[in-house]
Amino acid sequence: MQGPLIDNLVRQGVSRRTFLKYCATLASMMALPPTAGRAMAEAMAASRRPSVIWLPFQECTGCTESITRSHSPTIEGMIFDMISLDYQETLMAAAGFQAEEALHAAMKDNYGKYLLIVDGSIPLGMDGAYSVIGGRSNVDILKEAAAGAAAIVAMGSCASFGGIPKANPNPTGAVSVSDIIKDKPIVNIPGCPPIPVVMTGVLAHYLTFGTLPELDEKGRPKSFYGETIHDRCYRRPFYDQGKFAKTFDDEGARNGWCLFELGCKGPVTHNACATTKWNGGTSWPVESGHGCLGCSEPDFWDAGGFYKALSMPADPLKFVAVAAVAGAAIGVGASFANRAKKGAAKAAHETTTLADLEK
Amino acid sequence: MSIDAIPIHVINPLPTEPGLTGNALPLLREISEMLRRLLETGETAAIDLSALPLTPTDLDWLREKLGEGEIAVTLQANGESTLNETACPGVWWVTHHNENGAVTTEFIEVSFVPELVKAHPQDVTIGWEHLELLISDL
Repeated sequence: MQGPLIDNLVRQGVSRRTFLKYCATLASMMALPPTAGRAMAEAMAASRRPSVIWLPFQECTGCTESITRSHSPTIEGMIFDMISLDYQETLMAAAGFQAEEALHAAMKDNYGKYLLIVDGSIPLGMDGAYSVIGGRSNVDILKEAAAGAAAIVAMGSCASFGGIPKANPNPTGAVSVSDIIKDKPIVNIPGCPPIPVVMTGVLAHYLTFGTLPELDEKGRPKSFYGETIHDRCYRRPFYDQGKFAKTFDDEGARNGWCLFELGCKGPVTHNACATTKWNGGTSWPVESGHGCLGCSEPDFWDAGGFYKALSMPADPLKFVAVAAVAGAAIGVGASFANRAKKGAAKAAHETTTLADLEK
Repeated sequence: MSIDAIPIHVINPLPTEPGLTGNALPLLREISEMLRRLLETGETAAIDLSALPLTPTDLDWLREKLGEGEIAVTLQANGESTLNETACPGVWWVTHHNENGAVTTEFIEVSFVPELVKAHPQDVTIGWEHLELLISDL
């Protein structure tokens, strides 16, 4: 399938308006001005398909499930018409030597030009023996594939930050893509799993502008991870009014009030769930009545309990302390008692008890 | 002294209906500003409703205030889309659904005709060629 994309789409019975509508939705998801959809449509319609190689490492295939199933076979599927997916173990028909040959052929033919997508963390323990494909360790395969890549997309929390394999005590020595590869542009698309449209958005950006989108200090596209869940949450007005659900079945919960006190990690989690939602825009965790777990943040698994409030809302000092432990920096001028407690909990890899759930 | 004697009264009372956040009201002013620009410069604009912290009640409130206009356009493209004029001509309520009927995006578009309704010159050319072919066969 060669030639401009729009011709291919038309041949498949996808009308220009369908494509325009798709681009308008995509532009909305990418927090571009609503009118940018048309410019995107024009650029993408004329683009030719870049080669994409997708390598799965220490992962659960949840990321692939998320991307391929969510809107399948409709809207997100269209992005697969815009790229040439030359290697994807879960989706490809080929296996064994045939598959490895396809990988090497794609890498050779498009050297320096292909987009490399990685999902899963890379184990470094025991010389990488914890995860091996075709007799070669993940770290070897990654280094080889990265050498010829134009850019790398780290798909999901594992590839971006190490994810659950890296959770204490990290038995396999799991690390992220950016811990190994230092000389290529890397986009992190964290989330467990990531939102499909974030991936398609990054690909669309690559197709439209020929570059990767603007990234934040953790390598995440600003358009999707620029704001916290809390900033864009439809329950935010209740937080501002001081209306909180105290348990999962009280009046506040029934009225859809803020889930902060039930452990919602929305205030420290950068992701787009609140605007893009899940399952084709059906709902998302907070809308279904459960707080955000913070799955797109580094080390979310060890952040001290899903049902523990980040802090009492009236005490901004504690808020800072917990955010610091959950996130990156050590809080300055923060509550020492609280920090020590959280730090100890983190070090001991405290499990979630029934008491936590009943809090 | 009774409390009524204090000469203060609330101009914008807090929203009373549950679910109403008061976030929809400023949008009306924004739309009004967009209309002014449309008339003065012809510049079209849009508000992405799915990107704002609005509750379903807020959206209902906004829809009720803007009212219903004369034109309702339905587009069948990968799910249904509705482009409905509101009671304020030039203000369109655009809702995109996916094939399962779920709302994917919702916009308020301020323009004389919504962008999506217009035919693309390339498509018009294809249609024209088709028509010419049809005539020549008659």
